[in-house]
Amino acid sequence: MTFTASPTPSPLPGPTGAPRPAVHARGLTKVYGSGASAVEALVDADIDFAAGEFTAIMGPSGSGKSTLMHLLAGLDSATRGRALIGDVDITGLDDRSLTRLRRDRVGFVFQSFNLLPMFTAEQNIVLPLDLAGRELDRDWFDTLVSTLALTDRLDHRPSELSGGQQQRVAIARALIAKPDVVFADEPTGNLDSRSGAQVLSFLRRSVRELGRTVIMVTHDPSAAAYADRVVLIADGRIAGEITDPTPEAVLAGLDALRSFDEVAVR
Amino acid sequence: MIRLALAQMRRSLPRLVSAGIAILIGTAFVAATLVAGNVITRTSYDAIAASLADADLVVLAQQITADDVDTLRAADGVAAADGQLELWTEVRAGGERAYPRATVRASDPRLEAQELTAGAFPAASGEVALPEPLADRLEVGVGDTITVVRELWDEGGETSTDASEVVTVVGLTDDPSGAFAQSEGAVIADAEDATRWYAQDYGGAAPSYETAVVALSEGADVETVRAELAQALAPTVPDARVQTKQERAEDLTAQVTGDSDALTGIVLGFAAVALLVAALVVANTFQVLVAQRTRMLALLRCVGAEKGQIRRSVLVEATLLGLVSSAGGLAAGLLLAQGTLVVLGNANPDVPLPAAVPVTPAVVLVPLVVGTLVTLVAALAPARAATRVAPLEALRPADQPVGLRRAGRTRAVLSSLLVLGGVGLLALGVVVSGTEGGVMVGLPIGILGGTLSFIGVVVGAVLWIPRVVSLAGGLLASTGPSARLAAANTLRNPRRTSATSAALLIGVTLVAMMSTGAASARATLGNELASQFPVDVLVADPDISPDGPDDAEADLTPALLERLAGIDGVAATGATVTVTTAWADDAGDLGWLELRALAPDDATTLLRAPDHAAGLADDTVVVARDDAERSGVVDGDTLTLTVDGGEPVQRTAHVTDFPTGLVVTPATLAAMGVDLPANEAWLRLADDADAVVAMDDIQELLSEVPVQVMGAALERVAFEGIVDTLLAVVLGLLAAAVVIALIGVANTLSLSVIERRRESATLRAIGLTRGQLRASLAFEGSLIAGVGAVLGIVLGLAYGWTGAMTVMRALGAVSLEVPWRELVIALVVAVVAGLLASVLPARSAARTSPVEALAVE
Repeated sequence: MTFTASPTPSPLPGPTGAPRPAVHARGLTKVYGSGASAVEALVDADIDFAAGEFTAIMGPSGSGKSTLMHLLAGLDSATRGRALIGDVDITGLDDRSLTRLRRDRVGFVFQSFNLLPMFTAEQNIVLPLDLAGRELDRDWFDTLVSTLALTDRLDHRPSELSGGQQQRVAIARALIAKPDVVFADEPTGNLDSRSGAQVLSFLRRSVRELGRTVIMVTHDPSAAAYADRVVLIADGRIAGEITDPTPEAVLAGLDALRSFDEVAVR
Repeated sequence: MIRLALAQMRRSLPRLVSAGIAILIGTAFVAATLVAGNVITRTSYDAIAASLADADLVVLAQQITADDVDTLRAADGVAAADGQLELWTEVRAGGERAYPRATVRASDPRLEAQELTAGAFPAASGEVALPEPLADRLEVGVGDTITVVRELWDEGGETSTDASEVVTVVGLTDDPSGAFAQSEGAVIADAEDATRWYAQDYGGAAPSYETAVVALSEGADVETVRAELAQALAPTVPDARVQTKQERAEDLTAQVTGDSDALTGIVLGFAAVALLVAALVVANTFQVLVAQRTRMLALLRCVGAEKGQIRRSVLVEATLLGLVSSAGGLAAGLLLAQGTLVVLGNANPDVPLPAAVPVTPAVVLVPLVVGTLVTLVAALAPARAATRVAPLEALRPADQPVGLRRAGRTRAVLSSLLVLGGVGLLALGVVVSGTEGGVMVGLPIGILGGTLSFIGVVVGAVLWIPRVVSLAGGLLASTGPSARLAAANTLRNPRRTSATSAALLIGVTLVAMMSTGAASARATLGNELASQFPVDVLVADPDISPDGPDDAEADLTPALLERLAGIDGVAATGATVTVTTAWADDAGDLGWLELRALAPDDATTLLRAPDHAAGLADDTVVVARDDAERSGVVDGDTLTLTVDGGEPVQRTAHVTDFPTGLVVTPATLAAMGVDLPANEAWLRLADDADAVVAMDDIQELLSEVPVQVMGAALERVAFEGIVDTLLAVVLGLLAAAVVIALIGVANTLSLSVIERRRESATLRAIGLTRGQLRASLAFEGSLIAGVGAVLGIVLGLAYGWTGAMTVMRALGAVSLEVPWRELVIALVVAVVAGLLASVLPARSAARTSPVEALAVE
């Protein structure tokens, strides 16, 4: 486990450089409002997310971690800077292209699951392919369903599933289109600790065994500990990162941030 | 709770608007109908009061003789008294004729209802004053003469002769208050002439009256004279009743407007349909409002609100909505009526209409009370649902789906009973009306059955409409993900989808039923007309016959036929020869019949019902069914036909529904030794022709030719005109219900969009494009509307056919028609409106940012 207080991002990979990161941002800035009432939600974020990595973004409420995720996922437009998924700069895309990009290359897992109540688990899982008009890869579907232990739940509607089951369906939905990256927003926020732990280990398995890339926003240190790497954010700035985290290390990192803040304020 | 209700209304205002509009349209309908009824009553009252002129008292009895009138005149305080003569007469001038009402010149100007505009009132026998419109029509003025024609019947009433006398027009009159509105004024005659005409009409009787009008002398007291007159008449006219002018006018108005009250009642029935549909829209709106407020209601319960308070807050909200919308509807209805009045007044200056709509307390109160009550009642169920919100729900996560109650077993049983019972009654109605004179019994049974079964259908809507929607959605689903989403979404809230669909179903069912009924009536009665009048127009030249004058000129020349064929609207012409022939079968002579020679080709193009000439060939003779049955002739019999002075021929009989006589081919006629020019021309009008114009043109072309013109074209047109006008009026009335229902569709969609905000955001986040989202709502709107419309059309066809069977079975074979044009229009309007209804909700849905999917309440 290592803790770096201010990470130095690698320069943009050149033609002969290391493998391209799945997602990366340079000088990404979001300012809400203007003039005196302007609020800087995110300032000059430079960050890389390697393919096949499980990253947690952590920080206190209002630190800018959600804003960072919205910008990276193309859900919100940046005030300045660039965000790239693969080699596509998403900051310049119009709504239609962004929608396509999300459909084909990004998966989402939400805190409140957000399954469509009128569809069965299976219909929910294949929905992204349905919307794109793409063929279902049966093998991949079976792999996902068995990995997520959903085989005997496919005909159930969301109202007939437990929270943990619903979130597993949501994970399968996020992965079905084999996206470049999956964004998970507090995926355990609405779950009891046992279901939460299950969901997190599924997310980790999907990275380790299925080779996907996951970026998770959370404020729960024990959830963050499932990740390969934890990025800490405070006051709209990237404040540090922890590789191979443990809950204790994450807590320590957060405490460090807090004292760092206090020092800064003083 | 009022404060709470107001605060909630402010928050939900946009959502309440469409429900309010629905109520507004319904109440406007009610208000306008009531005002129209009042206008009819007022106009009738004015006309009736006017016919009594400035009379002070009116005497009524079975029989008031001229002597009794003299008794009235002799009484104290009476300035003048006249009996009112019930007299109609035929008048002619030039080629024109008319049948106006006639009256005697009043003995006192106060008793004269009409005003003189030129010349003078008649002062001696042989003089008349004519109403201006009549004089215009007869093209006469003061100083001209006209002929009064009276039909004199012999004692047995078997034969009549015309008696005519020439009278001079000495004056022209105006009927400003519509006293004789039925005949655009009355001919005023001298008393001597009128007495004679009356005697001619009533077998020499001296005039007797049912009504006498009395004008009082200056200063006489009405009540005193009234008592005195009653006493004076008692010996000779024991049943005499003396009324003031006002009492009389009110009595008569009540009699006359009995019909219009019935009409008002029928129109109010349509208004009730519109309000029922509006109620469904309101119920839907409140159901959704309550669902949206679940959390807040639970919070209120947590902090101590009682169930009653929650219910009252919803009901207060409904009452306010109902009051405001009804007031708007009332204003709209009055404006509409006032506007109509102005337009009508300008278009018909002769009809005395009031300048402003008569606003009575009933006109104001009924729409307000009805509109508010309907809204309140519609909100009862949602209000009850609101009280069922448990305080606990405030603590649950926000998007926990609200548990849907499964539609009850009671509802299914009730609905089935109503439908089965109603269908049974419908069948009974059809059977009963098939019996002699059974229509008057069968029709009410049928109406009851139809109403019950339709209530059953609507009550059960929530049970079966979702299934139909799911089926239709399944068909749509193959077209893509948007349709699949739409289909799934319509099934999420079966109650709401059903109510929305049912609202449209009601309107469309009635529209389809009326169209089907009208089409069937038109076809059935059209067939009836076709069998009575086989050709549209028949031109006969009676001079041409075997025993006619030898030098008779043949007028129906091929050149004339060609000119007839050239008239706009005439589709085909053909010439026939008609002679009288003796006919006989193997058993002997059958008497004389009319025989027509007609080429088989002409028969198919000229006859309204071409099968009337089925089997017509050179070796056959077509026999009218009536004649065949009377003479015992059946298909295949060999008949011998002989014309005076000609050769007998033998032909095989073919019995058809041709109305009368025999039909052969020209070849057969030639074989019979008849060599005559055409003496009948048959004309077929194009189906889309304006028959009135065509007939005018035909008459004009033939005005110089000594021939007779007959035919059913005008009857057919008049009849179809009545059916079409009635249908247009009824469809117009029903349109209000359909418009309200479509507002309901838009309402439901926009409520759904608000409810599904997070879902829309999720879908957008995982890759649904804005276009797909819009398309999905468009599919949803047209699915709901389309299902309502299709089911409505199917039901309407069934009801329309049943109705046609019930009403017209007595007439014989009923043709059950499908009014394709109307049905397709109804379907297209519904589906397109469903699409349009989705536009605004879809815009707001498409604006949803995908970020909202991540938001946590």
